[in-house]
Amino acid sequence: MKRFFKILKLILASLLTVYSVVIIYMLVFSPKEQRYDYASHFQGVALSQSMFEILKYQDPSNDQIYFEQSVPYNKRGYYEEGFQLLDKAVELKPKMHLGYRGYMKLRFLRCFNGALEDFNRLDTLTPNFVDTPWGEDIDLLRGEAYFGLKNYDKSIVHFKRSIENQGEDWVDIQAFVYLGLSEFEIGNYEKAKEHFEKALDKSKFTAEAHIGLARIYFENGDLTKSEFHLDTAEKYFNYKRNDPYNEYLNEIYKADIAVLRKSVVK
Amino acid sequence: MISALVAVLITGWMYYQFSHTVGELSSNDEIDGDFKVCNEDIIPNYYGMGTDHDGGRKAIKNKLLNNLQNLKFDNSGLITFRFIVNCEGEIGRFRARSTDLNLEEIKIDSAKLKHIEEALLSLKNWNPAKNEHSSYDSYYVLNFKIRNNQIVDIF
Repeated sequence: MKRFFKILKLILASLLTVYSVVIIYMLVFSPKEQRYDYASHFQGVALSQSMFEILKYQDPSNDQIYFEQSVPYNKRGYYEEGFQLLDKAVELKPKMHLGYRGYMKLRFLRCFNGALEDFNRLDTLTPNFVDTPWGEDIDLLRGEAYFGLKNYDKSIVHFKRSIENQGEDWVDIQAFVYLGLSEFEIGNYEKAKEHFEKALDKSKFTAEAHIGLARIYFENGDLTKSEFHLDTAEKYFNYKRNDPYNEYLNEIYKADIAVLRKSVVK
Repeated sequence: MISALVAVLITGWMYYQFSHTVGELSSNDEIDGDFKVCNEDIIPNYYGMGTDHDGGRKAIKNKLLNNLQNLKFDNSGLITFRFIVNCEGEIGRFRARSTDLNLEEIKIDSAKLKHIEEALLSLKNWNPAKNEHSSYDSYYVLNFKIRNNQIVDIF
């Protein structure tokens, strides 16, 4: 009996040792790429952050680890921690991460000057190349930053450049919408109208452009057309651009339509 | 004995690592009052969950910005409030963090933070996170942008 318990104890000890060794191996010694993928997959979970810490210790010059670890912090409003990591990624590989940092400053922090600094620095590092930070044309983003700064002359320059960069057929329709909004802000209603109409040529579902046109027609006293575009904006409202994380600078709301409609029907 | 101890320690550590996430806010009765969540174990983040104020962030800004103009600040930067919209559309468990333009932490007078928190509490009509089955608690993030010593934007 004694021998049985001794064997049982040995088996149990062996199993527990194997269990511990496997976990330690997976956390510390398994291939770094696998651990990176695993940690990325579990974004925001404490285990993921701990695995990134281990990876940073073992591979301190790997920019991707800092970048990936920053993501949940920034998404959840912990910008100090998130940007410390992102800054490190930029320091290690500026061409790779400046665009994303600029994008984050623009969309998550509304720090327009900071975003422009990053976009401009990236641009100088990549001559004769049109950068697309986080998948968006760099001049569309620069235009957006100037729009946020209410510097409409400059925002117009960059939105036009974005259309040149990408070509009219491929550019983000929002470049036309923002052009319209910028021209509207400085009182060039005719030009604004042309840009909004261009956006609708590209897609009749562009609710932002319908609201822009409704405003212009209202200002010009053409209430019938204003109402038509308000009705159409309402009809296509579900096609409006939407970001689950943040409000766009040109985000439209049903309340905008309701407020304008009240003025139109007065 | 040692192998059992190591295994228990590792299991405990792994349990902690799997059950905690970046940005979770633990409750504190002293500062959270009688705010209750519906399920302490599952509180996702607002994005992708439909959590929002009626009329979106623009409505929040329209309602609060003017009333906060009397608050003056020393530094430019951001005050970021993270809080919970519970499954019944009530808000609470406010935690604020503030950063300057270099994204380094700055201290903001707690009375001013309390003032903002009270302004937030005046907002009704929150839409909790929901799907076809039920409504849920969720975390929400709201930024107050400071330039020229005052709040200039809320998003």
